[in-house]
Amino acid sequence: MKHKYLVFPLTLTVFFLLIWPSASLFLKSFQFAGPALFNYGQLVLDPVFRTALAHSLLLSFGVAMGSILLCLGPAWLFARKEFHGKRLLRSLFTLPMSFSGIIIGFIVVLMLGRIGFLPQMLERCFHHAWFSGLAYRFGGLLLAYLYFEIPRATLTLESSLRKFDFQLEAAARSLGANRWQRLAYVVFPLITPALFSAFAVTFCVSLGSFGVALIVSKRFFIAACGTLSAIDRLS
Amino acid sequence: MFKNRFSSDFFFIYAVTFLLALAILLPILVILFGSCVNTSFLGISSEQWVGGGDGFITMKWYRYVLGLYGSSMLFSLKIAFMTVIACLLVGVPGSYVLASKPFFGSRLIEELVLLPLSVPGIVMSIALIQAYGRLRGHWWFLLAGHLVYTIPFMVRSITNTLRSFDIGRLELAAQNLGAGFWQRLWLVVLPNLRHAMIIGCLLVFAISWGEFNVSFLLNTPLNQTYPAALYGTYTSNSFQVSSAATAIFLLGLLPVLIAIQWLGGDDLVKIEQGS
Repeated sequence: MKHKYLVFPLTLTVFFLLIWPSASLFLKSFQFAGPALFNYGQLVLDPVFRTALAHSLLLSFGVAMGSILLCLGPAWLFARKEFHGKRLLRSLFTLPMSFSGIIIGFIVVLMLGRIGFLPQMLERCFHHAWFSGLAYRFGGLLLAYLYFEIPRATLTLESSLRKFDFQLEAAARSLGANRWQRLAYVVFPLITPALFSAFAVTFCVSLGSFGVALIVSKRFFIAACGTLSAIDRLS
Repeated sequence: MFKNRFSSDFFFIYAVTFLLALAILLPILVILFGSCVNTSFLGISSEQWVGGGDGFITMKWYRYVLGLYGSSMLFSLKIAFMTVIACLLVGVPGSYVLASKPFFGSRLIEELVLLPLSVPGIVMSIALIQAYGRLRGHWWFLLAGHLVYTIPFMVRSITNTLRSFDIGRLELAAQNLGAGFWQRLWLVVLPNLRHAMIIGCLLVFAISWGEFNVSFLLNTPLNQTYPAALYGTYTSNSFQVSSAATAIFLLGLLPVLIAIQWLGGDDLVKIEQGS
């Protein structure tokens, strides 16, 4: 083809903005008076970093599990049914995905902070501020990340569910399976790969998102925040 | 039609969806509520919730935020527009070549382009600062950071469309009828890509407008994007101000998202699948 040069801007962008920085970062991580694993050793030995990493992993795992459990319902609905206002509902569901992390952090502090909306409302109704200050504990962080991940999980599950062959389920029904049997023996085994992929996507994205933690966590130091403070110390 | 009769129609699916929708909507309503309604009328007795000013609805906080952060709003808008243009210029020809005329290594390039979707923003910004440290603080360096994260969406949108209908045959037909390369591009390829390009542009704009992870480290006090300014309000100001600032942010984001959903459809589902 004659005009292959049209791809050069893209290739150059990829090289200079993606490959070169990543490669140089990777190489520099091994440098300490000559090539060594010293820097990695330092990191692993640092207890703050280890706890931060553990918190990150636990959080992401919790968020991923929670999101696939919650979002299976809406994903099923969007994949299978047509109804009035479906587009609007779908837009609503994809909304939190475009919020940057700090906004989610703000939302969770607004709703569940020490004088957040929910504690205030509950105080007025039940004279006890349940959930007050939850925003600053692990539970609040979990809810914040969950809010952020619901759209992603829903969309991933929905696109996988669209490929689901409903005739298999119809065949099972015609062979006499009731709802629960169909669910357990036909539907669930078939959607397991979809669940895994949604889990993986949600896990990875929560692991890397630091905006929420920046606003919220005072005691729980998350790995991404640790990275940030390390940079501030160095620069 | 099998659609509605044999599905496992559990009531709990509807319930969960409804509750989730409510849970998603509630904070947004609270933010809008907190930013303009004078809550002392409602007797919510906490200093943080008392809105200043008289009357039931006050725009005072919006005016305050606009005055303080108007320049970073404009900066964000400018960066977003320029990111869109850059994505169009770099992404469209590139993805056209990658999708319709594959060559040795084109799959690799495509996978690399889509890589930033799986890499956290903070990592990429660290890598960029590491590699090009002296450039930190220039606005076009910030643009480069935004570009890294928005090009995958544009490329994926275009390549999905190009692969969904056989562009090769249309081009061949045009070539048979005597069209040269540029004529084919302008009269056959681009009009067919119009929908994908519009969606791509909207997505890129929305992402760039809300981009925080990369911008946080590449910002300087002189050139602050709006999300970074938002971070400032969250850590130092009252709920009223933060709510107003957030509401303005949402105002910039919501029309774009609604437009995307309206125009979107199935292509969108594939794009949105994420990493």
